[in-house]
Amino acid sequence: MISAFKKQDNWTLIGLFITLLLMIALFSWQSEFFFTTRNFINIGQAISIRGLIAIGLTVVMITGGLDLSMAAVAAVAGMVTASLISLDVNSVVVGVAGILAAGVLGSFNALLIVKFRINPIIATLGTLLFYRGLAFVSTGGDNIVVGVNAWSNLGRGSWLGAPITVWLFLAVVVLGMFFMRFTVAGSHLYAVGGNSEACRNVGIRVDRLRGWTYVVQACLAGLAGLMLTSQSGTALPSALNGAELDIIAAVLLGGIALSGGRGGLLGTLLGLLIIGVVQNGLILLQVQIYWQSVVRGAILIIAVTLDSLRRGGGYR
Amino acid sequence: MAMSNVSKAFGQVHALVDVSLNLYAGEVLGLLGDNGAGKSTLIKILSGNHRPDQGSFEYQGKPVTISHPAEAQALGIATVYQDLALVETRPVSHNIYLGREPRRFGLFLDRRKMERDATVMLDDLNIRLPSQKVDVELLSGGQRQAVALSRAIAMGGNILLLDEPTAALGVEQTQQVHQLITGMRKQGKAVVVITHDLSDILDITDRIAVLRQGKLWAYAPSKTITTNHIIGWITGVMPPSIHNGADQ
Repeated sequence: MISAFKKQDNWTLIGLFITLLLMIALFSWQSEFFFTTRNFINIGQAISIRGLIAIGLTVVMITGGLDLSMAAVAAVAGMVTASLISLDVNSVVVGVAGILAAGVLGSFNALLIVKFRINPIIATLGTLLFYRGLAFVSTGGDNIVVGVNAWSNLGRGSWLGAPITVWLFLAVVVLGMFFMRFTVAGSHLYAVGGNSEACRNVGIRVDRLRGWTYVVQACLAGLAGLMLTSQSGTALPSALNGAELDIIAAVLLGGIALSGGRGGLLGTLLGLLIIGVVQNGLILLQVQIYWQSVVRGAILIIAVTLDSLRRGGGYR
Repeated sequence: MAMSNVSKAFGQVHALVDVSLNLYAGEVLGLLGDNGAGKSTLIKILSGNHRPDQGSFEYQGKPVTISHPAEAQALGIATVYQDLALVETRPVSHNIYLGREPRRFGLFLDRRKMERDATVMLDDLNIRLPSQKVDVELLSGGQRQAVALSRAIAMGGNILLLDEPTAALGVEQTQQVHQLITGMRKQGKAVVVITHDLSDILDITDRIAVLRQGKLWAYAPSKTITTNHIIGWITGVMPPSIHNGADQ
């Protein structure tokens, strides 16, 4: 009896997996173009960049935090890399500088949340506006076109038949899963989300762990910004504008609780895949584009409602 | 472990006045008193969370200071607070070893060793749980108390301070906790139980200390008194009675 309840996180995963299979079956049946290697690569490509950010966000949310600024961080990182590429700076330096810039923005988030004890939603709402504004101010709102160069390979190249962006995303997912499951720090991140006070009592450095999640999240967002710039050959100050909510939706769909302490990266991966498959399938079926948002919203609502009913708990 | 003439004031409020107590290995001390009598202050001083204004401590005959939680921990003093401080979303073994998980290569969690150690520990304490892989939120109040006590012992606690261990528990679970306390006494731990619950208190303790208005009002071996004595002391109806015979 109890062991069945204990596996409630597993039930969430099984539910997501079945949903994913049903979606794949439905679209394969409805569209001859869906079940093809080419299309699966498309789906992978579509979710990889946002997926990187979602992975970071998952870790932040497991500790009970939230980061709304991540898409803006990606945009700033994109602008930084593009301006350096235009200056003919060495590619490796460009990459390091882009991610470093993102890391600095993440450290600022961490400072506000951990040192000044500002609620993460408010702190990162503020930095979302601030960072997004910086991205626009840097060029007066213009895009930076970098075209095709040594950097383009990151976003456009492929290896063993799949785009490098997809490999990079998968590598981060696997690394993240390994870290959360097998390291003491990963275990502490879950514990901090479950009861931060209990962790402080036993001497776990709660603030340091929390702070690092925001820095890592920002670095992953920076990497996403880099890949986006590389893929499109252009850095837009408006890159990923509004994607914040979609990314949070994917993470919540994957079974992460806003209160922290629960869920995992496998859930986020499944959440991303479901949203990616639906998006792709609806395009193939030539459904009016505005339905996308309706369907995604409905999936999220249904998923969290089922989860809440099954747990018998929920919002009080 | 001995504390002598410990006093603590918060502004005008004299939370503790000149309190002296001894704790012995293999003995259970019941610390009683009405709300605001100074029980919690005493526990917080012993656990290093408050500094006493006056007074001294001795551990195994040597003078020691307890001015910081880490110092208390180094002396083997472990506190189990009323709210238990468990991570409900984590399994039992993770809770027992929270903050001192066995590691491999410094970085990785040695899950197998942790679970094995937890099993041994729970067996030693005669604690039966459905599974130690279960999340704490699915355990009963008594089982949670058992997990919290296990952690205190895993932290190297020889002196265990239990703050209202049965406050939120039903009759049967209270029994379980009492058995646990008896088990720890057998293991040679010094146990301090703060409680409002007078039922059974004389059976599970060796000595009773009653605080009233920050002063040690009564101190007596459990065998020599009745529940009525305790109620009389707590309410102040009975005059102070410090049995130095309590310190054999």
